[in-house]
Amino acid sequence: MPSKLEDIIHSIIASAPSGEIQDVYKDLKILAGDEAEEAISDAIAQYNVSNLIPISLSGKSIIISEFNKEGSKFFDPVSSVQFSVDHLNRKALDVEKCDKQLGNNERKLYDDLESYASKHFCGDVSYAVYPRNEDTHEVVVVIVSTKYSPGNFWNGHWKSIYRYNMQTEHLVGTIDINVHYFEDGNVSFKCCKEVEDGKAPNAILAIKKLENDLENEISASFTNLNERQFKLLRRRLPVTRSKINWGKGIGTYRLGKNSAESQFN
Amino acid sequence: MSSFDAALDLLRRLDPIKIEEHLGQLIQLDPSLAEDLLASVDTPLQVKKDPNAAQKEFLACDYNRDIDSHRSPWSNKYVPALSAADLEESPFPTDSVRRMEELANDSFDIYRDLYYEGGVSSVYMWDLGDDTEDFAGAVLLKKGGQSHSSWDAIHVFEAGQNDDTRQWDYRVTTTIILHLDSGSEMRLSGNLTRQTEKSVAKPVSVAEGSDAYKVWHISNLGSLVEDVESQMRNQLEVVYFDKSRDIYRELRDQTQVSSSNTRSAHEDVVKGLQGM
Repeated sequence: MPSKLEDIIHSIIASAPSGEIQDVYKDLKILAGDEAEEAISDAIAQYNVSNLIPISLSGKSIIISEFNKEGSKFFDPVSSVQFSVDHLNRKALDVEKCDKQLGNNERKLYDDLESYASKHFCGDVSYAVYPRNEDTHEVVVVIVSTKYSPGNFWNGHWKSIYRYNMQTEHLVGTIDINVHYFEDGNVSFKCCKEVEDGKAPNAILAIKKLENDLENEISASFTNLNERQFKLLRRRLPVTRSKINWGKGIGTYRLGKNSAESQFN
Repeated sequence: MSSFDAALDLLRRLDPIKIEEHLGQLIQLDPSLAEDLLASVDTPLQVKKDPNAAQKEFLACDYNRDIDSHRSPWSNKYVPALSAADLEESPFPTDSVRRMEELANDSFDIYRDLYYEGGVSSVYMWDLGDDTEDFAGAVLLKKGGQSHSSWDAIHVFEAGQNDDTRQWDYRVTTTIILHLDSGSEMRLSGNLTRQTEKSVAKPVSVAEGSDAYKVWHISNLGSLVEDVESQMRNQLEVVYFDKSRDIYRELRDQTQVSSSNTRSAHEDVVKGLQGM
């Protein structure tokens, strides 16, 4: 039975919007009881890592992910520190110096990324470049932009992750967008796309183009979903362009339709 | 906060496309919530075929369910058929309410045709006790199938007479579950709920209990449902399209960049002129 409880808790936490984890934590504790506390905390820790949740470290916002995790600690190669994390409150603990740092090429990438991300993202934006893997020559670049407005019943989360091969200049990544609106209901907008640039001499310029392209596609998709799919589900008014005349005469609509159809048959 | 409130709070936060899965999980976490949650959480409607009515489609939900069967509005029979012993306990509307249910299904079938041009509709009604004419019910409409999009409208109502005002009061809770999928990487899904009330003076010239009186009730409910659906259709359009896009632009916005670039270019020109 305990493994089943853990499965349920993981599935529920994984389905939560990133701006509402605290609420989901409280609800789950009421439903599953204090004995589920550990399972809930584990699920949130896992959630934070897989969703690249930014945590606060001496006033700065630092992303945590599988790419900067070592054992139970995380590191920030820009400020060369390592730390553990209070996952529920999204805070760094036990911060100490470490020897992780970015090489010259990676540092250049980080500076370009900083300039791009701070201009194009209007949410609370965080970004990172992780040191290159000497075997694969790959660096990982991530961008996270969040905007939480629970008082207005909405929260938004953007995350993009790229692997860039510094030798072949091959760039591949995933962009994941999640918007939640929950006044008088529960409405979610999700977009997830795999993107690629086979030859990107300038990685950040290529990322900018891929992300601009997706933004244009989203815009076209919204128009298409509204003007085609939504319109096909329910009409604004019947073909008669007026509201229905209810009552015992309503059957005449059917008679009218049948006679109109029989004219064509 | 009670467990029930915590469960409802979770269901308005978690991914709405997984509502059935999460509803099942919450019931596993606290089985005592099963009945209340199943009665108050709307999930996408199931379509069934009635073998007693030329396989005509009807909508299945908790309001017409008994054991694992659902009562069809076309034949008033449970599908799949229940055993004689089970049927003795199964809920059926009184003759008078069933007559109104039949008339309502006819009218809403026409409504469905005019607004949905396809889809399935079903109306279920039940009385609210032996010593009252008050009644309740659910009007259900579903359209979907083509591409990946679907619309489920669930109107649960109560109709009660107020002897002081000589009026009938109708209270409707409407949930619309709307799913829109581009078929590739993007989807919009979820539900909105709204409550509406309407009071109508009792007709003086219509005999209570007559078919004409039942048709009068259906007209009142019909125009109420028609108005609510039209308003909610507008609200859904605003929330799904305008609101989602606005929130997205709070995360990333390339148009803002170009306008701020233009602004800084403009400032440079101004500075340049001032320097001359």
